[in-house]
Amino acid sequence: MFASTPLDSTFDIQNFTAHNMMTSGEVASNSTNPGSGSRSIDEAFAAFTPIPSVLLDAAFRIIQVSASFLALNHLTLDECLGSNVYDLVRSRTLVPGPTALRLVVDSAIAARNVYATSEQQATGRCHANLRAVPIFEGNELLYVLLEVQDTTAEHESRCAVNDQLDRNDTYRVLVDTVKDYAIFMLDTQGNVRTWNSGAQLLKGYKPEEIIGKHFSVFYGEDDIIFEKPRKELEICLRDGKVEDEGWRYKKDGSKFWANVTITCVTRNGVHIGFSKVTRDLTERKAAESQVVAAYEESAKLKSAFLANTSHEIRTPLHGMLSALTLLMDTSLTPEQRELGTMMEESGSILLQVINDILDYSKLSSGIFSISSDTAVSIPNLITSIVRSIQTTVKPGVSLATSLDLNLPTTAFGDPLRYRQVVQNLITNAVKFTESGSIDVHASLVEEDETSFTIRTEITDTGIGIEDIAIGSLFNPFTQFDTSATKRYKGTGLGLSICKSLAELMGGAIGFHPNPKEQGSVFWFTAKLGKINTLNRVDRLSAKFEASVLSPAPDSLELVRELAPGKRVLLAEDNFINQKVMLMMLKGLGFANVDIAMNGAEAVDRAKRKPLFYDLILMDISMPVLDGVGAAIQIREAGIDVPIIAMTANALKEDVASYLAQGMNDYVPKPVDRQILLKAFLRWLR
Amino acid sequence: MPDSTRREAEDRSEEGSVSLPDLGDSIDAVTFEQILEMDDEEDEREFSRSIVFGFFEQAEQTFKKMDDALKEGDLATLSSLGHFLKGSSATLGLTKVKDSCEKIQHYGQKKDEEGTIDEPDEAKCLERIKETLVAVKEEYAEVEKVLKKFYGS
Repeated sequence: MFASTPLDSTFDIQNFTAHNMMTSGEVASNSTNPGSGSRSIDEAFAAFTPIPSVLLDAAFRIIQVSASFLALNHLTLDECLGSNVYDLVRSRTLVPGPTALRLVVDSAIAARNVYATSEQQATGRCHANLRAVPIFEGNELLYVLLEVQDTTAEHESRCAVNDQLDRNDTYRVLVDTVKDYAIFMLDTQGNVRTWNSGAQLLKGYKPEEIIGKHFSVFYGEDDIIFEKPRKELEICLRDGKVEDEGWRYKKDGSKFWANVTITCVTRNGVHIGFSKVTRDLTERKAAESQVVAAYEESAKLKSAFLANTSHEIRTPLHGMLSALTLLMDTSLTPEQRELGTMMEESGSILLQVINDILDYSKLSSGIFSISSDTAVSIPNLITSIVRSIQTTVKPGVSLATSLDLNLPTTAFGDPLRYRQVVQNLITNAVKFTESGSIDVHASLVEEDETSFTIRTEITDTGIGIEDIAIGSLFNPFTQFDTSATKRYKGTGLGLSICKSLAELMGGAIGFHPNPKEQGSVFWFTAKLGKINTLNRVDRLSAKFEASVLSPAPDSLELVRELAPGKRVLLAEDNFINQKVMLMMLKGLGFANVDIAMNGAEAVDRAKRKPLFYDLILMDISMPVLDGVGAAIQIREAGIDVPIIAMTANALKEDVASYLAQGMNDYVPKPVDRQILLKAFLRWLR
Repeated sequence: MPDSTRREAEDRSEEGSVSLPDLGDSIDAVTFEQILEMDDEEDEREFSRSIVFGFFEQAEQTFKKMDDALKEGDLATLSSLGHFLKGSSATLGLTKVKDSCEKIQHYGQKKDEEGTIDEPDEAKCLERIKETLVAVKEEYAEVEKVLKKFYGS
């Protein structure tokens, strides 16, 4: 009794004034009286019941029909009233058809109770069923009421439920077949509610063993103490999701490295629990730590290898060079002297090569550190470098320095590294310049509140750089001279080291041809920190420079001439060494030697008589105050007496830091008289 | 720069070349000669004798302090004692003793024997110091014997 044709949704039942559900005899009078006030109960019912209804008499003729029914089936009142319902159904091909209708009606009558068809699809998404209500008086059937029940809403909600079921089933299958992930649900309290096969495989619990238990059983003691499970759920509630990596425990007590994702699950805005996905990352973690361990191991081996090799090479080389220096001090024939000079040159090149390789390997492995808190005087530094290189300049070449007046007198930087770059560039210029000039120019190019940027430029009139080589000039192992004769020696690392150093100092390095004539211009910039305290540094930094030795024929005689009248302070805590040093000094002619048993005593003595001492010999490792601390305090007091460190820690870095902190020079321990003599000559003349 | 530059000094002082008995490989001849050269007269050897016997005293005291520090498990003290004795043994050219003292210094700093690689395991460091201490005492006993013989006592 509901049409298969679409129901017009604009159909307005209120305007359907067909004064419905009325008896045939009343049609005329009621049709002219749409007002509600005078309407009978029957009329009102017929006009306004939302349930499409038809009332049949015992012969199944339609005696009342509701407006909603007429609207539903696009019928008029006249077509219906008085008609046999089966005829109507047949003639208007209503749904359900006469057979189904008869079944409902007969069943209702037979049962004397309400009977409904199964749900049927009406138009479009609409679903409905037909209900027959038999009305008896005693045993006599009076009427049958047919009602169309719209079940669309129920149908849809049921469909939704079914869909959900389908979906859940699908996912459950998916989840259950995942073996590599533990996927399970927790209720709002954190108790396990579901358990997939992956969870069983990973954690070792069977579903019946774990469901209902709190998920904190997977955590270790430490995590429990820190209430990690509770905190994770709290974070999850707040953020919707939480991810964690850490150790989790299996049923058998073994642990595994887990990646855990907990997601908050809500349904219709209500929090119903958490989903938890756990992955076993133990293997990945193990692989990672293996890689890390292997890397660390190889880095260690490399540094140990480098340290050993450099030590093994440098020690005999130094021995050789020192012996050679002594040999050169003796009276030699001109031929012998020339051969000796060649040996000295080759030896110092070899030493430079080894130092370069060490520096380069450190720079390339990133373990090279640069200090930025040592006060340095760039003008003095450059002057002293130039002075020390002056002796190596070929005849006919002039080496000159020009320093801008606006250069800061002192700034914070790394004097050792700055020196290394300047020295390298000037040495290169000297090496490749046969005649003409080498000019070293330094200027302040930029200044802000905290720093100076200083540019140092070295212009020479040497062989210059071929265009083709310019691009790769600063690459490691690049050499200008690749001819078989190789007039110029070196590793080809120098400029690449300079580049790294300049960059470490916050600057850059570059080259362009000499604009005026044949030759090169190399420049680099470095950033230096500003300092406010202008105390000790100026005087000192120039003195840091241990000038290249041009050994005098007899150091011993020279020192013996200098020694009388010079006052020396010896700071040394070990009395054996004290006695030996005293005796050695006495042997050299020093009559005035004071002893300090530790650094504090040395500071005390130096401060008490600021201008008294000509030189301090300072052990590094001493009780109360060590040698470095003492040097710092002496410098802070404004005393600029030369301080020579005595140490067995002769690593380049150590020495660099001693020099940076106020020492002027150092002699290795055990103190060798010849080395001590050279140091005295450097600082007492 | 190396800490062990060795060479034959060509300008020996006017006392003339010192003839030394064979002191074995535990003593660096060049360094020890430098001490001997400070003696006024070769026969008496008063200065070097006082230094050497002063060292014996110092070494024995230091070993005792090391034993105590080892019992306490005091790595820092062990390291500084190692450094201390390293200084004087180096001055005398007692190479083996010096090398062992340096190892103790490094172990005490929780490093390997070269002082290059960190060794965070204190128990291991203490164990190594214990072994080295036994060795250095033996090395010391050897040079003590040689030197006492040299000084005829």
